[in-house]
Amino acid sequence: MSGLSRRGLLRGALYGAGAAVSASALSGCGSIAGSVASADEIQYWTLFTGPDGELMKTMTRNVEKRVPDLKVRTTVLDWGPPYYTKLAMASAGGRSPDVAIMHLTRLAGYAPGGLLDPWDTDLLAEFGLKQDDLNKTLVKRSLYQGTPYAIPLDTHPFVVFFDRDVMDKAGLLTGDGGLVPFESPKHSLELMDKLRKDTGKLGPVFGHANDAAMGWRMFWTLFSQTGATFDLTGERAEIDEDTAVEVVRFMADLARDSRTMDVQTAIAAFANGRSPMIFSGEWDMATYKTALKDRLGGSPIPTFYDRPAGASDSHALVLPHQDNPDPEHRRRTHQFVAELVKSGLTWASAGHIPAYTPAVSSAGYAKLRPQSEYAAAAKQLVLDPPVWFAGSGSDFQTRMCQALDPALGGSSSAASAVRTMVSQINTLMAQPNPA
Amino acid sequence: MASVSTSARQAAAGSRRAGSRWAAATGRRRSPGGAGWLFATPFLVFFTLFLLVPIGIGLWMSFTDASLTGHGDGVFVGLDNYTEAFGDSQVWQTLGNTVWFTVLTTVPLVIVALVMALLVYTGMPGQWLWRLAFFASHLLPVAVVYQIWSMLFQPDRGMLNSVLQTFGMDGIAWLTDEKYAMWSIGLVTLWWTVGFNFLLYLAALQAIPDHLYEAAALDGAGAWRRLWSVTLPQLRRTTALIAVLQVMASLKVFDQIYLLTKGGPNGATRPILEYIYDTGFTNYRLGYASAVSYVFFGIIIILSLAQLKIFSRRED
Repeated sequence: MSGLSRRGLLRGALYGAGAAVSASALSGCGSIAGSVASADEIQYWTLFTGPDGELMKTMTRNVEKRVPDLKVRTTVLDWGPPYYTKLAMASAGGRSPDVAIMHLTRLAGYAPGGLLDPWDTDLLAEFGLKQDDLNKTLVKRSLYQGTPYAIPLDTHPFVVFFDRDVMDKAGLLTGDGGLVPFESPKHSLELMDKLRKDTGKLGPVFGHANDAAMGWRMFWTLFSQTGATFDLTGERAEIDEDTAVEVVRFMADLARDSRTMDVQTAIAAFANGRSPMIFSGEWDMATYKTALKDRLGGSPIPTFYDRPAGASDSHALVLPHQDNPDPEHRRRTHQFVAELVKSGLTWASAGHIPAYTPAVSSAGYAKLRPQSEYAAAAKQLVLDPPVWFAGSGSDFQTRMCQALDPALGGSSSAASAVRTMVSQINTLMAQPNPA
Repeated sequence: MASVSTSARQAAAGSRRAGSRWAAATGRRRSPGGAGWLFATPFLVFFTLFLLVPIGIGLWMSFTDASLTGHGDGVFVGLDNYTEAFGDSQVWQTLGNTVWFTVLTTVPLVIVALVMALLVYTGMPGQWLWRLAFFASHLLPVAVVYQIWSMLFQPDRGMLNSVLQTFGMDGIAWLTDEKYAMWSIGLVTLWWTVGFNFLLYLAALQAIPDHLYEAAALDGAGAWRRLWSVTLPQLRRTTALIAVLQVMASLKVFDQIYLLTKGGPNGATRPILEYIYDTGFTNYRLGYASAVSYVFFGIIIILSLAQLKIFSRRED
């Protein structure tokens, strides 16, 4: 805490110094004043760090180059629950950035409380971004009372990666290099056993131990594939618990080789060849690509049950609420976002599937591998239930993962995990929506 | 949070020292004048602004349905939050975890520190080396401690399980099995913080006058007798101090748990402070989080008073 406030103080001092410099330089050199003056800049909050952060920086710079007079000041904040705390506080306090990245699943906790302003789709269309060009599922989810409150940049589903050579040897690839279809949970477990036997390696791995999201992503994927009831719209949760128990049992079987693996261990097991298959977020694609090179294959999560589905979320752009936004400023913000979303192909190199459909269907995207192999995942998206307490980085996901972990680790039963999950959900549903 | 607890301990140790100096100087004490207040003003301003005022606001908030997002601020709900807190199973579960952690850590943190101090004090050559070695881990920031131990605890490639496997034992899911997770965190905490208690004990040992031991030796007391009848009674005040400070520090546990397990598996290590943090800052329910904080605050006060009573009786 003290470090933070000290940094704030230093930054304040720097700004002060900057203002002094620009004031004295105003008469002599306009360009210095231009670079310091912040009133014209678009304030942009993102949660991208690492390679994603670099890529976003490049994209922003490219937009600035393409559009004269458009200047963007990016503030990068660490991803996780604190990001949403800061965003909510900034919006509530009226000193919000002009535009910010938000996971689409968090919209239900923000839009109804007036923390966000709606987008002007006509204005976006004027800058070349039509709603029709965006992923339909995501657009539908970005509406609150029929008005769009978010513009999706991408979707980042839960997918499966594999070592092409090893899987081929075990006879688990089709002629065109895709995964053989799994007909049922039982069938898939048989195939996994075959994989273990034929290759002498671990079966599929899945890093879930002590993670705040992975267990839930896997559960939500599989449960959604069954089509069973999971209704959080009433007073209490209506959940098909028998199906849920069956799904958790299957998850534990699937995770036989990775009972105690956390995400880092699972990634390492896959990257160093101990396991030829990993259930993973596509955001780790670059790590796998570095390790496996051209042997890396990817696919949407296989359909184990009745219907294709894969847990997912979307990095979307939102307008944090401002009491008196400057119309010209807002206009430029729209232009920036339109340009950014249209740069989807660049963004895809990080592994994310662009929400901008012309980018996905472009020839350039087809050349990206394994991105193009799992791009179909964008057609089977399931996002968290649209309730205020769910979504990426939420306490809800943490609670679900903690309930699942003992069952996946083998120290308790699937039934007790489901009981805990349902009771946790009911506890959250009984709480008032704070937004 | 640990840094807070450390500084609190140092402050406590400091005030003890200052207290004795103060006692020595009372003879020359002048009546407090304006200058004293002037010098104290900067502190008082910060103390008021950043401690008293927030405590007051927090208390007020606990009677409202205040939200971090600014909605519902100031709507008075009376004792609703407190009623909810007493009926909230999460409050009791996380409070139970906190108390369990406190019991689990306080006892070894007192005993191990004492044993280490005795070993070093009784005839180990190169005391500076031991002092440094035992205290060094205490200097590490919690993020480093987390990095080190999350690697040691790795189920597949971690050093601890490799050692177990060398002896033909099965590996342990240190942080991901409900049975072991809190013990693992206790182990980390012991390793990380025992150095401070060790130093306090060592200082206290060095303050025991030699003539007591000489007298005991003349009476024919052996080494064990001297330990039981001279050393330990002389350390009683220090033990009381360490126990009180340690209970406070352990009740405030947050950071190593948040980093190592996020409160998992299945909430088995989630301390009440994490529940308060999640309620206030992840779920935005500031009013309710304040109420839970005040419930916890009340419990700490009660425990402290009880402890004070126990130790003051012993000193009589």
